[in-house]
Amino acid sequence: MSPQGHDPRPVNRFPAHDSDVIVVIGSGAGGGTLANELCQKGARVVLIEAGKHHQPEDFINDEWASLNQLAWLDERTTSGSWRIAEEFPSLPAWTCKTVGGTTVHWAGCCPRFKDWEFRIRSEHGPVDGASLLDWPIGLSDLEPYYEKAEYRIGVTRTNGIPAPPASNNFKVMGNGAKRVGYKGVSTGRMAFNTVPRGGRPATIQDGFNYQGDKQRAHWSTLTAEIPKAEQTGRLDLRSEAMVIRVEHDKTGKVTGVVYVDAQGNEQRQRARAVCVACNAIETARLLLNSASALFPDGLANSGGQLGCNYMRHVTGAVFATFDKPVRMYRGETMAGIVTDESRNDPGRGFVGGYYMQLHSLGPSFLANFLSPRAWGRDFAKIMEQYDHMAGMFLVGEDLPRDRNRVALNRDVHDQFGQPVPDVHVDEHPNDVAMREHGYAAGESVYSAVDATGTFRVPPYPASHNLGTARMSARPEDGVVNEFGRAHDVPNLFVSDGSVMTSGAAANPTLTIVALALRQADHIEQQMKAGAL
Amino acid sequence: MSTPETATLGSRAMATIAAAARIMYPHDTLPDDVYARVGEGLAKTAREDPGAARTIADGICALNCGRPFAELSADEQLEALKGIEGSAFFELVRSTAVVEVYSDERTWQLVGYEGPSFDKGGYINRGFNDLDWLPDPEAGA
Repeated sequence: MSPQGHDPRPVNRFPAHDSDVIVVIGSGAGGGTLANELCQKGARVVLIEAGKHHQPEDFINDEWASLNQLAWLDERTTSGSWRIAEEFPSLPAWTCKTVGGTTVHWAGCCPRFKDWEFRIRSEHGPVDGASLLDWPIGLSDLEPYYEKAEYRIGVTRTNGIPAPPASNNFKVMGNGAKRVGYKGVSTGRMAFNTVPRGGRPATIQDGFNYQGDKQRAHWSTLTAEIPKAEQTGRLDLRSEAMVIRVEHDKTGKVTGVVYVDAQGNEQRQRARAVCVACNAIETARLLLNSASALFPDGLANSGGQLGCNYMRHVTGAVFATFDKPVRMYRGETMAGIVTDESRNDPGRGFVGGYYMQLHSLGPSFLANFLSPRAWGRDFAKIMEQYDHMAGMFLVGEDLPRDRNRVALNRDVHDQFGQPVPDVHVDEHPNDVAMREHGYAAGESVYSAVDATGTFRVPPYPASHNLGTARMSARPEDGVVNEFGRAHDVPNLFVSDGSVMTSGAAANPTLTIVALALRQADHIEQQMKAGAL
Repeated sequence: MSTPETATLGSRAMATIAAAARIMYPHDTLPDDVYARVGEGLAKTAREDPGAARTIADGICALNCGRPFAELSADEQLEALKGIEGSAFFELVRSTAVVEVYSDERTWQLVGYEGPSFDKGGYINRGFNDLDWLPDPEAGA
């Protein structure tokens, strides 16, 4: 970019040659939170987001139209034996391309990781076909940041914030779970307001959690973090800007980024540090596409682990039909949880645990996902019972495998001429065993309240994408250190779920936010010490 | 049938697709208009993707090589569709039909889905917790 006037975005607050700014790429849970926290600490931040700056009033309460508005639909390919490669070959993940990233699509479940979930290699020992590794940090390192994250997000059942009320869908799952003997049954720790808080209203129970929250009751970086960062005067948010390369000098320190702006022009922004938070698929892809003579296998990839150990959680859903109406779509979509199966009990035939969480889809998505590619009269009859259905989502720990990975597909290029990511997954037998256990457990919950039918729904394109730049104590085992700093590059950080060494059973957003807050403290210290 | 929306698909194609969609996702009380959406969706696909346009044209032709598909009995139509299940043409029609049929408000009404509620104040005072055939869960669980 030329500062003499070729820049079609005169609103840029900081000039392209300003090498004192911190560039954060991606405005979701990790990047949006980190950008705000750094601004609060006095740093100047250029936050670059590939998607548009939609506002909540623009969100669409229609599943397909919303997907087309918010989802990351740039070309991707899939390989491996997972069902997604057969059923949704060009859509391995259901994440978002919009300011706020996937926080706008997040239903808001906020479990913390458990202590042992940070050290699965020690807990489980070696597992054949898996690349288990302990995190370089533990729960005690993250606990203060979990507390900050919960306060900031306004998680229900923490900080005196009232619990969500029981919806129709929860009454079914909750009663069923109690009848089969589960104890950890509640409406959950959720990232939406049950009372007005943080300048945002209490929920009106209008559903559509996955389509963006029109009323702003849900926490998202779009509605909660980025506006606060903008108030500092130290945020330069550039939307519709796709970063295609992170650049470095001959000493191996990063110097800035190259991106394509909304007009299709290539721009360059210099930086004192670069923080990559593009979600696990794009984070790995960007660093792989930033290969150079000095870093021939991709930036920060001397250990050969970049893109490897891709995790997406063991997921699945169970829906059930009943004689009497449920109307599962009314109210907050995921305000309900059963925690009993989240323990590690290898006696069940698998290591790690999973949660059952409340879940609902509208008819449009249910018809697509309930039994992919099903058709005919029997299927239509099931759909006609829609208002008599209840639903739950299963989310559990999947094991990292080094061959489950995001790699560059050099045969296919995107609209920017860059190789697209190929996402390869072969499920570990442990994942399959856990899902089968979850299906059976879910069916027993609904049978206990007299379901007339139950349905095992296979995984959707994943919204939890993790592990492709994992934390490790030793450089050869991962990509970043305990603060998310690249082992190979002192001023390059990864600030999203890519850094997770293991995925735990928990929905990842709360932990991503906690890690971003911890990383912000570290960056502040490094700047004060003159090390950055 | 040469409105802009259907410019690339003729009347035989539109009738064939609507009939096939009704067999794939049969809801007897839904009006034909709901299934006609599928042809409109495929016409759009055909305009944007020449490869898909050829697949559709060939598939329509094959389904109509004897008596017109739309004039067959429902059982005959079902058999004909079973015969091509898994083909690119079948999957193109099915994947369009499942989106169009279940995104239509008339289908929503049929299956008991009330849809968006934001403009009506949500469901907080409109029955989000009105299920009365099970006890209310214990508070503070």
